[in-house]
Amino acid sequence: MAATRLVEELVARVSAGSTTQEWAITVLGDERRPPYNRILLSAVLEGTHRPESLTLRDEQWYADHGIDLRLGARVLEIEPRLRDVMLVDGTTVEYDALVLATGSIPTLPPIRGLVRMDGTLHEAVHAFRSLSDCQGLLAAIGGLDTASPRGSAYSTTEGRRAVVVGGGLLGLQVARALGVRGIATEVVEGADHLLHRQLGSAAGRVLARDLERLGVAVYTGARAVRLTDNALRLDTGVTLETDLVVLTAGGRPSTALARRAGLEVRRGIVVDDRLTSVSDPAVHAIGDCAEHDGRVTGFVPPAWEQASVLAGVLTDEPVKYDGSRVVARLRATDLDVAVLGDPEAEVRDGGEVVEMSNPVRGSHRRLVVRDGRIVAGALVGDLNRIGLITQHYDRQTLLGPTEPGELLMTERARETVRLPDEAEICNCAGVTAGAVRACASFADAREKTRATTGCGGCASTVRQLVAEQSRLTPEGVK
Amino acid sequence: MTRTHCPYCSLQCGMTLVSTSSTTGAGSTTGAGSTTGVGSTTGAGSTTTRRAAGLEVQPWAEFPVNEGGLCRKGWTATELRGHRERLTTPMVRDRATGEIRAAGWDEALDLVAGRIKELRTASGPDSIAVFGGGGLTNEKAYQLGKLARVALGTSQIDYNGRWCMASAASAGNQAFGIDRGLPFPLADVEQADVVVLVGSNLAETMPPAARHFDRLRGRGGKLVVIDPRLTTTAQRADLFLQPVPGTDLALALGALHLVDAAGAVDEEYVATRTHGWDDVRRSVASWWPERVERVTGVATSELRALVDLLTSSRKVVILTARGAEQHSQGTATVLGWINVALALGLPGTPYAGYGCLTGQGNGQGGREHGQKADQLPGYRMIDDPAAREHVARVWGVAPETLPGRGRSAYELLESLGDGGGPRALLVFGSNIVVSAPNAHRITRRLESLDLLVVCDLVMSETAALADVVLPVTQWAEETGTLTNLEGRVVLRQKAAEPPKGVRSDLEVIAGLAERLVSTPSTGSGTDGPTFSTDPEEVFAELGRASAGGKADYSAISYDRIREEQGVFWGSPRMFTESFATPDGRARFVVAEHTGPAESTDEAFPVHLTTGRVLAQYQSGAQTRRIRSLPDDGPFVELHPMLADRIGVRDGEPVVVRTRRGELTAPAKVVTTIRPDTVFVPFHWVGANRLTNDALDPSSRMPEFKVCAASLGLATSSPSGSDYSTTDRAAGLTA
Repeated sequence: MAATRLVEELVARVSAGSTTQEWAITVLGDERRPPYNRILLSAVLEGTHRPESLTLRDEQWYADHGIDLRLGARVLEIEPRLRDVMLVDGTTVEYDALVLATGSIPTLPPIRGLVRMDGTLHEAVHAFRSLSDCQGLLAAIGGLDTASPRGSAYSTTEGRRAVVVGGGLLGLQVARALGVRGIATEVVEGADHLLHRQLGSAAGRVLARDLERLGVAVYTGARAVRLTDNALRLDTGVTLETDLVVLTAGGRPSTALARRAGLEVRRGIVVDDRLTSVSDPAVHAIGDCAEHDGRVTGFVPPAWEQASVLAGVLTDEPVKYDGSRVVARLRATDLDVAVLGDPEAEVRDGGEVVEMSNPVRGSHRRLVVRDGRIVAGALVGDLNRIGLITQHYDRQTLLGPTEPGELLMTERARETVRLPDEAEICNCAGVTAGAVRACASFADAREKTRATTGCGGCASTVRQLVAEQSRLTPEGVK
Repeated sequence: MTRTHCPYCSLQCGMTLVSTSSTTGAGSTTGAGSTTGVGSTTGAGSTTTRRAAGLEVQPWAEFPVNEGGLCRKGWTATELRGHRERLTTPMVRDRATGEIRAAGWDEALDLVAGRIKELRTASGPDSIAVFGGGGLTNEKAYQLGKLARVALGTSQIDYNGRWCMASAASAGNQAFGIDRGLPFPLADVEQADVVVLVGSNLAETMPPAARHFDRLRGRGGKLVVIDPRLTTTAQRADLFLQPVPGTDLALALGALHLVDAAGAVDEEYVATRTHGWDDVRRSVASWWPERVERVTGVATSELRALVDLLTSSRKVVILTARGAEQHSQGTATVLGWINVALALGLPGTPYAGYGCLTGQGNGQGGREHGQKADQLPGYRMIDDPAAREHVARVWGVAPETLPGRGRSAYELLESLGDGGGPRALLVFGSNIVVSAPNAHRITRRLESLDLLVVCDLVMSETAALADVVLPVTQWAEETGTLTNLEGRVVLRQKAAEPPKGVRSDLEVIAGLAERLVSTPSTGSGTDGPTFSTDPEEVFAELGRASAGGKADYSAISYDRIREEQGVFWGSPRMFTESFATPDGRARFVVAEHTGPAESTDEAFPVHLTTGRVLAQYQSGAQTRRIRSLPDDGPFVELHPMLADRIGVRDGEPVVVRTRRGELTAPAKVVTTIRPDTVFVPFHWVGANRLTNDALDPSSRMPEFKVCAASLGLATSSPSGSDYSTTDRAAGLTA
């Protein structure tokens, strides 16, 4: 997705005439389909998205813009001194600038029986990274009816069981999606609570309860250690009988090519503020594979911001990347989680915590505030005011002392009070409650005051007021 | 008794005007049978008292748009007649002393024509500019375009409608090949299952329209309102979405993303009636709900609820208004919503489609007959040789004498005087000082003109700057047609004589034209241009000029309008068979969200948006002078959280600042607005000193509806009452 955005940004600059350079762009992708919206895979699994609506740009678009898109093209080696890359099929592609947007690769947890003797995965095991993975999983649960994503295929999944290994964002989305599909699903997480990278333990526990309420069983502080033909054994001694195992236990930046090419790699490919490798000015990295300022991200918005900055860098604009604000949202029906920034780190760094926990209702809401600004937050089970909280976070609004607390309170419906006589109830004709009370009937009020004859919005109020006077029910008012 | 229409908004509510002989008004003899023009101002001349009004508003129950209903502005519309501030003689300013004095008509018109001739000789015809209004009748709008192109010879004409629905017009032309506010009668919404209002507060801005939406709900239909404020309209909605100002487009993209994701696209309609879907489909693939939530501040659950409604029925109507359109991305925003409508297969199917709720009284007709910088009558483009040929023949001039395309409204005003553009400006039916964005700057431009001529009823804020002010007739004193938001041409009929000394705009135009048109040129079989002052004659000429154009009025006559309670130009229900594009198919146009021109920052941390209140209309030149309409002056609407942040209580003065100006007004603390947004009504001087003049690249619409602002306590405010009187005085006389 980062690469697609970069290409779009470059194309836009070329067509706007803001770069006079001649561009020969080659896109190499090892999947066999054009780039698609990877973050919606769990929605496809859940059945809220058709797989066809994931494609970002089709092959024709690349062709129309003179871009050489090569699908199923796996890179064997980068040769920085020759400024070319060699593909597994032996061809080479020369470059002036090389952009690595290789993303991340899933890590395989150390579970015995996961990989068979011949090196392939156990037939019940599914990764969940690509559209192929997603379609494979859908086929396995018998839910591959893409024509009508909602409501189909539920019956065929009855009685089937799945275990999701990993209680991070992706794991929970997949677990919930399988649950929606009617599969008895359980989640296994090695840490002592769900979403442990994003949430504190109290919030994680509330989340686990929310998930269990939706029918998904949660095992935290438990590691899967052994897979047999129809069961997964945990290190807590529990054995989960299952038909399917889905691995979502995180990934790591895909850096093997960069490492072999001699570029500086720590967790990711190390880049500077111009998203340029610190060891080779002709090489750039964006997205999940890049490490900027000691951080790697795993989210799309920062990858896009990097793509946008890099497009500027490549066209000689004086731009710099100075990090991104991340809002992580769980995409799953009836499971409400939003994490702003890194709350745990901000708390450790001395941020003030404003918190509202209601385990009875299944909500836990925390804002971390520093110098009057929201620097991080975690909202579980109640996303009331999410659209305002994220605005304040993104814009770094300087808030008043009462605001963070109020943001966590649920809005109350307004109460109705007896209208004073001077209250204007019909804006159209400028009629007060008193003037209507002086009327004998609805028709009388209409005639004398012209209330209800404009927009008509006050009709129910007028009925109410006339009824008050005549001791009728509003329905009885003619 | 005279059947006519309300002087204000685009509904053009039908009403009956009855002459009254007594001063009491109440219980008047409605069956008096007085006819047009009878029983009018007996004390003719001079400024008289309210007694002279002698007209009372009565319902006209049969007119289908409002069925006898009116809002407060309609009921009180006659009060402006005989108002003590009504101008009844031309006024001329002495530039040396600044004194303004009464003058005779001939003196005033000679002076204006003389100055124009001097300027024209010295600097060419484009040194003269004309600024019209969306409240002018079709006849006036038409005649004004002709005055500019034929008598003045200038390309420099545009009008305030550019600030009204120009974005919807531009989008409509791109998508459907034609621009008409509603391609179906308003009452059709009653038969729909779902209506989505994007940026309209019609319960306040056009209250009688709300009855149709109430009936929709009475039938079990659903109303969706999208607005940064929980307005009185939104309070009636089944679903209310409250986006950050300037993000309606992102919401549309997100809605279309989910429509496609759910497989709810009408593939057959898309394949047979449209072009361009594939590109639009790809462009919305990256607008998943969580991304939309972050941009718009609308929770994913609410977006999903909207899409569930959109996909629940075939009878879905999507309507936009100024809230969605008055943005530097206004055209793209409308296109974004049109794309949703097209993907769902709505336009041209019964009780479904897309429409724009036009704002000004003649917002629709005003843009069809040649007061736009780029257009000739009948919605013809001025740079189309065939169009020029046709119109020139009707006008009795040679096609090559017609000037080309001029500047758009804001660009025209911005270029005046010191701006290097025209040195003289003639204003008809507009109060620029109050209604232009970045109004400080525009006011300075007006002050730098060699000649400013304003036609108005009262000494508006703009008239107060003029060198020559010409007093013109008002609504009940004149006849002419207007085209309402449905494309229905209605007849405003004269019900009373104007005060002595007042002339109609048509007479003013003719008076100037006869002084400016050089004797008919070179024969060549033409009679040379004429400028009739009879509205019906002008309308017939307009019909000929528009014949064959997109908005063709040639089959419409005053008699037909009277008989049929208004006549639609074109079909009442459009697009049933084909669209007005060359191949008959609608166009999907890719619309990318880039956000408002000005973002909030450390110095200006809140969004400012502007709009109307029920009791006022536009710049308030008329409604602020009607005693029965409450005029409490401007206010600053803000949420309690924001009020607490700056420490202001309800009713206390608060200062709103932007990069362009500031305004002090009492705080109105309400829980119905987004806590990151403030709202200021635009009927008074001040609001538009704050607004941003960034323009939409396609429609040239300024960004009235969002800019970055800061808030503070008003420092030197002795007491609330003192403050508000001085402020209001300033507002009324600036």
